[in-house]
This record gives sequence, structure tokens and C-alpha cells, in this order.
Amino acid sequence: MLYGYGGHILRVDLSRGSTVREKSDPAYLRKAIGGRGLNSWRLHDELPRDVDPLGPENMLLIGVGPLTGSLLSSSAYMTISGRSPLTGILGDSAAGGFFGPELKQAGYDQLVITGRSETPCYLVIADDRVEIRDASHLWGTDLWQATSAIRKELGDNAFQVAAIGPAGENLVKFATVACNNGRMCGRTGMGCLFGSKQLKAVAVRGTNVVTMADSLAFLDLSRELDRRILDHPEWQKRHDLGSPLLMNALNGIGILPTNHFQKGVCDYVDRVSGETLAATHKVKNKSCFNCNVHCSRYYVTPEGEAEGPEFETLCSYTSRIGVDDLRFALRMASFLNRMGMDSLSSGETIGWTMECFQRGLLGPEDVDGLDFTWGNKETVEKVLDMIVRREGIGDAFAEGTRSLAQRFGRGTEKWALHVKGLDVICGDPRGIKAFGLTYAIASRGGDHLRAEPFFELTGRYDEAERRWGVRDIADRLSNNGKAVLVEHTERQALLTDCMTMCKNIGLSMDVLDFEFAARLLQAGTGLDFTPDRMTKSLRGIIDADRRLNIDLGIDASMDTLPYRFTDEPLEEGPSKGQVVPVKKMVKEYYELRGWGPDGSPPSKEG
Amino acid sequence: MIVIHPELCSGCERCQVNCSFFHSGAVGRSRSRVKVVKIERLGIDYPVICRQCKERYCTRCPESALEVGPLGQIVASPTLCTACGTCETLCPIGAIELHNDLPYVCDLCGGDPRCVAQCNMGAVEYVPGETETVSLASFKKESRGLDPEEKRVRFALDRTRELREAWKASVGE
Repeated sequence: MLYGYGGHILRVDLSRGSTVREKSDPAYLRKAIGGRGLNSWRLHDELPRDVDPLGPENMLLIGVGPLTGSLLSSSAYMTISGRSPLTGILGDSAAGGFFGPELKQAGYDQLVITGRSETPCYLVIADDRVEIRDASHLWGTDLWQATSAIRKELGDNAFQVAAIGPAGENLVKFATVACNNGRMCGRTGMGCLFGSKQLKAVAVRGTNVVTMADSLAFLDLSRELDRRILDHPEWQKRHDLGSPLLMNALNGIGILPTNHFQKGVCDYVDRVSGETLAATHKVKNKSCFNCNVHCSRYYVTPEGEAEGPEFETLCSYTSRIGVDDLRFALRMASFLNRMGMDSLSSGETIGWTMECFQRGLLGPEDVDGLDFTWGNKETVEKVLDMIVRREGIGDAFAEGTRSLAQRFGRGTEKWALHVKGLDVICGDPRGIKAFGLTYAIASRGGDHLRAEPFFELTGRYDEAERRWGVRDIADRLSNNGKAVLVEHTERQALLTDCMTMCKNIGLSMDVLDFEFAARLLQAGTGLDFTPDRMTKSLRGIIDADRRLNIDLGIDASMDTLPYRFTDEPLEEGPSKGQVVPVKKMVKEYYELRGWGPDGSPPSKEG
Repeated sequence: MIVIHPELCSGCERCQVNCSFFHSGAVGRSRSRVKVVKIERLGIDYPVICRQCKERYCTRCPESALEVGPLGQIVASPTLCTACGTCETLCPIGAIELHNDLPYVCDLCGGDPRCVAQCNMGAVEYVPGETETVSLASFKKESRGLDPEEKRVRFALDRTRELREAWKASVGE
């Protein structure tokens, strides 16, 4: 028996309507660990390199890990992967909530979905019973309606539903997949991938149990981790505010994206901060599976109620586009969630257009007469609706910022803030250098979660010296030693994605080191996950991702940042005068990874 | 008995996870004696667990496999139980349910309920000595023909009605 793991891989071919349940291969799992790592190796080994991202041959993978759905706090995650319709390279996006644990309890480590259904469909998994059902009547429904309708049809409210909204159906390149309405796989357009396969949803219900190899040892380790979390100095704040705490935190160090990163300080932050959200509209805490931080929140306003929003959405629809209205941001967050569209990428198309208006590079005549003045809420609302329906100029916006800028040209490309086609997140890298390096090298494009080098924000100089021998690693403005930090935390981030655990806890709260994780994995699976073997596996996955991405068209010249972050110093605030010396850092990073100067990993795996 | 405070519940399911682990050494909703109902659209998270009700519907077991223990908890005899499902049918709120031919119902963990110990939201509280104070008669009639999950959803909706009204009132215009 395979402990910890679900034990099966489910292969679904939507073109043929076939489903095959295979046993998981322990040797493959040891190499891939699980979750994102398992998806990455599957793509590396099986994805045809010339595949059209929207074609039937593209693979849609949903992976969970050996500790998903276990006694371990925040073991809630799952990752969806495939060739990204937005970027054309490796695409993946993770979400917490309850879908991952349910998939595990149904007995699976991974779903491998290929093909394209002739008519809209949804996949139902109830333990070992799998069925592809017609979804013609659900096509066009928003996420809240679809989720309710599916549960009603299946006669069981306890089904966990990962679904797409109209944006995914209409192949908006940055469409999301939502788990039970509230938990988003937001980035790289995995919802578009669902839509391209005419797959409206995956509904799963598991009645098995997650059994560990050494339950008592695993219990002790889980309790030890609980203590580390509960005793953490940031616990209370994370509990009270969740990720929106970053509005004020980032503003305080001068890196809160304001008017599309032209400023790092927002003078109306108090009107749109996490503190204000908590004080005015939050009615209670919400949580993912088996978490003891409970960082999410439920809010109620006279216009509506929902779970959310997280920081990236809040910032994308306030300071990043010049809006000082919290209730507006909540309304947009809710709209995006119901339509199934990513807030970061949609927000960047809007922020970029507003900056192009400011610079006189674009005008109303370019965008169906819409007025993209900073903070024009009416325009924002209108264009989002047009993007979802791909109506008028919304059709061009739906292709993403990189494509949109290429379409207009005239020097607008310079202000498109993406790396490898993925729009950068809400954190100005000029004041957080390790994050800058992370955006540049992240295997899915301009994103922080691949390494989340939170340590540079902690000011723990002695600890930096103890761990890596470089004190400057704890100084956010220094680039010294940041490649060392990123090389380290990139493995740590991958590890949490493989196990699968929340990165806010495993990584940002710094409660999970490799030795401890190895003990958890050993107690959980009974397999010989020594720290050395684990490190080898993690490096192997990072190299596999890189080889895949090179095959899909990236090269070293793309491991960089947009002009703004490398050449345009911030003009005011606590990060004044800063830029990211990205070339130097990337070079150091390649060396630490064992990659050549052209960014190529060794050609042989292992 | 165990008292639920839905205004504090985040829906993390730690009660459910730890119940299952304590009783079976593994984690799964089907093995838990407390089951969290989640209605995302309404922000409802409600752990449904035996209310130790006045009526003690489930003890009308034809095999006499269920009786009331010294803490007011339900004690199930696996040897007398024939998995006929009468208890599951009789309970108006879905707090007892068969899985693999065994009835799963809260046994208070012998007086040290693990769900309470692991809920750091304070949403699940143990009040020793209090038992048979809650009547479930008002849920009985309309629970006929429903499966346990449907009964739990009904119960959760009822028990959070006031909370939702309070939320609405708190935001005003």
C-alpha cells in the first residue's frame, strides 16, 4: 500500500469520452514528490512540444501531494497545470480550499485530462466512479450558478466543484478556475484551458481516508508545526487581516503599486487598506482546509457579500489603477470571481491602458471611445464586461497585456509590465530585490510565488548570516546574496507546492525547513525522503521545468524585468532611487542552479 | 454536550479532521462524527454534531445497539448493530450516519473532545453536564426522506438564520 498518496492517476480523454484509472508508480512519485512537481514531470515527459495551447492535445493536469488532506495544518492545496494559453510556456496555478483534500480522499494523486469534448461537459468523480456528463445547459452560467446547479444535479452539497465561468468559456486568455466559488486558480489562464476542452467543471467527492505510514510520528510532527504557526509573531495580524495587510505594509516601504507602478506610495491607502476592510465590512474569518491561521474573510456590503478579496485583487482594483473606493474594488472582485477572470492580468491590461492614455500613446479612438483616465470606475466596469464577452475592444484585451501592446505598438510595449507574457504581481520589485530576481526567473513568468523570498523583508540580519553567511540577505534594498536566497526559497516554495501546503505558512511564515519537511514526508509516506534525496528531487523538477520552457520557446534574454524596474528609479518614499540590477542577479542565479550562461540546465535529468 | 458558535466558525474543518484522526488514525470526512456544512454563497460554515437531544430519536434502534452513556453521549455497540440504518433515518439533523456498515456519532472522546481542543476559533465548545436540553422535534417532520447531508444543510441554514440577519443589519446602507 502507498501511504499518504491517493494511489491512482485518472486519465480522461474528452475526445473519446474514455476514463482510465491507473495505479500511481511509487518510483515516479519519489522523483516528483507530488502536486506541482508531479504535474511538472508529467508535462516534461508527455506534453507534445508543438502542442497548440488551445488544441485538444494540450494536457490539463490537476495534482495533489502526499500530505494533501492530512492532519498537517494547511495541507489544502492542489495545482492545475498545462501549456499556458496566455504565455505559451509552462502554466500552472494553485488554490487552497477543499478540492485538493477531496480529490485525495477519492483516491487520486493526479487527473490527466486531454482531448476536447464535442459538446460542453463536466467531469464527476465519486471515489472510483467517474462519469463525463453533459453541461450544455450550464454553458453561459456564472461560477456561483454553475457550482450550485452541479451540486443540485448530483444531489449532494458536499461535492467539491472546480469550475469556470463565462470568461473561460469565451477563451479569455487569463480565465480562472474557481473551487467552490471562492478559491481561485488565477494565473496563466487555466480556466481558458478548461474552456478549450469544453470542460465546464470537475466535481469530486471522496469517502476514503488519508492514511499515513506512521500515524503517531506524523501526529507529533503536525503538532510541532502547529506550535510554530501559533507562536509566530505575525500570527495575529495574518489572522485578523489576511493578505490585504500588504496594502499598508507595502505602502510603508514604498513599493505599493500606484498608478501602474509610477509610484510606490499611495496617499489614500487608508481608504482601501486591509485594516479598513476588516473594520468596515468583514463579518468573520474564513479558512482553507485544516488551517489554524484562518486568514481569509467573509464580507458583507449593502450591494453583496462574498469571501475575499485577497491582496492582489484588492491592489489591482484600487491603487494600481488609481481607484480610492473600497466598495468598488469589492464589487469588481465579486464580478471577476463570478465570471472566472483573473484580477492581476485583467488589472494590468487596464493599468497599462491608463498609463498609455496619460502618455498620449493611446486615446479613446483606440479603445471604442472609452476614457481610460486614472481611476475611471465606469470605464473599468465597462471594459471588464467587454473582456468577458470578448466584445469590441474587449476581444483584444482578452488576449492579455503583452499581446495588446504588440497590437498597438507605437512604443506602448515599453510600459507593458509582464515577464514572459505573465503580468507582474502587485509589489514593486525596485524595493525588494530578491522578488525582482524571482519575477525574472520564475518558470511561469512574472510572478513572486515561485520563490516568495519573504526573508529579505524580515530584517533578521543575524539569522541571514547564520543560514547563508550573508547579512545583506535580510536587507530588502540590497542585491547582495539575493540569488542565494532565491535559489533556496525557490526549492522551499516548490516543496510546499509538492506536499501540498499553503505557501503563506510553509514559506512566508518560515515554519518549514527541509529537515522538518523530510521527516514529515517520511512519516507520511514511509518512502525514504531524506533531505538529500528531497533536494535532488526539487532541483530535478526545477531543471525539468526549465527544459520544458526552453522547448516551448524561452531563452536567457527573457529572464529579465520590464524597463521600468531596471532603468527608472522610484521617485519618492522609502524605496526612493532604487532599481533592480537584474542582469547581475540572474547571472549569479544561473551559476547557483548549475545552469550554463545561456540559462540551460544540464541536459540529462537527475 | 458540544455547543457550536457559528459566528466564530471559519469552516476550516479542523474539528472534522481531528475527530476522524482520533477515532480512526486517518483523515476523512466519512469517518468523522462531526461534519462541517459549508454554504459558500451565504458565508455559512456550521459543524453538525450530535445535540444530545431531548428526544433521543436514534436510540429507538430495533437492535438496541445505541444507548445513552454517562456523559450524555451516544454509545454504539458494533456487535449489536446490524447496519439497518434506522438511526440514520431517525436523526432529524444528520448527526449519525453509517459508513462501511458502522454508525458514526459523537462519543465525546470520553470527556475530552478532540474537536474542541483543536478549534482555535472557539467555535466548538464543550459544556460538561449539559444534556438533553435541546429539542429537535421541530426538524423531525420535514427531515423525512432526506439523506443525512440534506438534513445537515437544513439544520445549518436554520441555525445560522439569526447570524445572517445580524450581518445584514451591521452593514446598514
